[in-house]
Amino acid sequence: MIAVTGATGFLGQEIVRSALRRGLAPVRCLVRPGTTPARLRAAGLDSPGVEVVPCRLEDAARVASALAGVEIVYHAAAAKAGSPAALVASTVVASEALYRAAVEAQVGRLVLVSSFATIEVAPLRRGAMVDERAPLEPHPERRDAYAFAKHRQEVLAWRFSEERGLPLAVVRPGIVFGPGQEILGTRIGLRLFGLFLHLGGRNAVPLTWVENCADAVVLAGTAPGALGEAVHVVDDELPTSAELLRRHRREVAPLRVVPLPYPLLRTLSRLNAWYSARTDGHLPAVFTPYKVDSLWRAQRYSNARAKALLGWSPRVPMREALDRTFAALARGGSASPRPVPAPAHAGGAGAAARAEASA
Amino acid sequence: MSEAGAGAPRPRVAVVGCGQIADAHVHEARRAGADVVAVCDRSAVMAEQAAARLEVPEWFEDLDAMLSRARPDVVHVTTPPASHLPVARAALAGGAHVYVEKPLTVDLAEAGALEDAARRAGRLACAGHNLAFDPVVLRLLRLVAEGAIGDVVHVDAIQGHDLAGPFGRIAMSDPDHWVHRLPGGIAHNNLSHPLSIVLPLLGDELPSVRATGLRLRRERFGDARDHFHDEIRVLLAGERATASVHFSCHARPVQLALAVYGTRANVAVSLDARTMRAVRGSSMPGPFQKVDWARNDAVEAGRELWRRAGDLARARLHYFEGMRELFARFYAAAAGAKAPPVPFEEALRTAAVLDEVFHQCRAERAPAGTAAQGGAP
Repeated sequence: MIAVTGATGFLGQEIVRSALRRGLAPVRCLVRPGTTPARLRAAGLDSPGVEVVPCRLEDAARVASALAGVEIVYHAAAAKAGSPAALVASTVVASEALYRAAVEAQVGRLVLVSSFATIEVAPLRRGAMVDERAPLEPHPERRDAYAFAKHRQEVLAWRFSEERGLPLAVVRPGIVFGPGQEILGTRIGLRLFGLFLHLGGRNAVPLTWVENCADAVVLAGTAPGALGEAVHVVDDELPTSAELLRRHRREVAPLRVVPLPYPLLRTLSRLNAWYSARTDGHLPAVFTPYKVDSLWRAQRYSNARAKALLGWSPRVPMREALDRTFAALARGGSASPRPVPAPAHAGGAGAAARAEASA
Repeated sequence: MSEAGAGAPRPRVAVVGCGQIADAHVHEARRAGADVVAVCDRSAVMAEQAAARLEVPEWFEDLDAMLSRARPDVVHVTTPPASHLPVARAALAGGAHVYVEKPLTVDLAEAGALEDAARRAGRLACAGHNLAFDPVVLRLLRLVAEGAIGDVVHVDAIQGHDLAGPFGRIAMSDPDHWVHRLPGGIAHNNLSHPLSIVLPLLGDELPSVRATGLRLRRERFGDARDHFHDEIRVLLAGERATASVHFSCHARPVQLALAVYGTRANVAVSLDARTMRAVRGSSMPGPFQKVDWARNDAVEAGRELWRRAGDLARARLHYFEGMRELFARFYAAAAGAKAPPVPFEEALRTAAVLDEVFHQCRAERAPAGTAAQGGAP
């Protein structure tokens, strides 16, 4: 038995599919009370081998009950948008209760879906390789609200691991993308006053296709070497920001693009920080030199450790993933949901997991 | 500059409850001249994150420990409303003045208990009616005080709310959210704002109340998220003036706006645009009146455009400017320099009207024969 939090989410539902594909049934999905049947169907959670448990993660008694008999917990629930405090409340406070319940239920492993946003990259030089040697971000408060909440969520998980013996594996995906998702994210640019400010230049964008990422997350629950480790997950053959933008303009919609090269962006960020401080926050310090260094300085990204520790490789090549994404964007919507595969039975979950781990 | 004035010691402020609005309290308390010495939340995670992000020197998860160690002069209570009274009581007993976010308490009985606690402790309690101190509302009140619009005969106010906005989205994703346990649901968390502006314009007496509630959204959850009224209409009748106050989750744009009708003129106020326009009309004859009236409206709008542009250039458009102003006045009152900016009688009147509004709205849903007939609370 495995449990998945955030199972109705973009990545969470793919984790469920990937787990079923590997024979890790039954899958117990902890979903927010009041989640509508339509939402569950859309996420494919009405499938054989899937058990849905309405449960607020802050509800200790319900979470403890939901984790009874669970060997692996995949923790993918996290808020994506909101004020800093709201993100911490919905992401970190909920995680704290889950970590506590996982320790008490003596689960075999908890896999935390963390983020690239939790690591310190601002001091890295241009062109540096970003990998698992990067420390956790020492100044998450200087990043954005999402980065802060995800940082606190991961730090708390490691604390539970060290102090309470939580068996932990951490997966830090780059940017998870797929059909139905806007691909022109912050690392590429911002829409402002009818313009698209292109901030990413020719930087590599650390993308991971949602199915590939879900595979890595699931493997982190079963690969022996993943316990006590953090792995970064990005796909191979990463495109550049300029390539993605060019393709978007050609295949999806024309955009009025204003390129902002890194040196200019950094100058503007100093101006923004200065004005914000001088005027008591009349305009928020959306851009600061620290954020600019963290998000828009050109760097390279390694997935070598994920491949080595998890036995993972991207199932869907980048070219196909981008074709599917842009085709869905051009249609103006998401791809039709894929069916959840029937649970694999031969050899049982453990055998399937061992086979993946040794692949 | 603080209202307390140059040379006065900076008040020591602590914020209890580290949810969304705590950020604004810390920021505006500093702008109002205070030192924020501590934050406190029963969740260590929430207290720590607020201290880390907002650079507050100490954080606590125990209220009594915070009061005894940080020794704040003023405690801002920003917890969910059901805990306003117990937290404020503890802070008052610990020797602090209290600023309590809106709604002041869950109901009038609790508001009365808070007043008693403040009186016994010899400290001040201030209701968080910050929008009544927004620069444009202060302009309106000056205009009224100068007699420029004559005697107020009627006020229209609308308070919008976006169920897909930053707060609404959270509330609508969680059937156990504290807002669903308030007697008036989401409206209860919002109606204090227009009422705190409108009620003083109706005089010192408690007006009679007629209220009706509607649910225009489709039911889809089968829990508390389907129950609250998303549209509320309130008619208030004072001795010489009336007011209609609307709460709407569906009218667009989402805004807090007022129209104040006086015996000499009327004015339209938008808190979102921070504009105030006098409607001057025209005394021109026949069809010329329509052109002249429109010209006067355009001139008023043009003046406001220039004023706001000037404010933008001079960095005077802070979102929570009313909060900063109210904090500064309250700190000055706590230091004994000025009268309390929100007399407690006003806070009690607001609580009484809210009680009656939600009582009538609930009664409409009660079985036939049990509905209240309305009237003065």
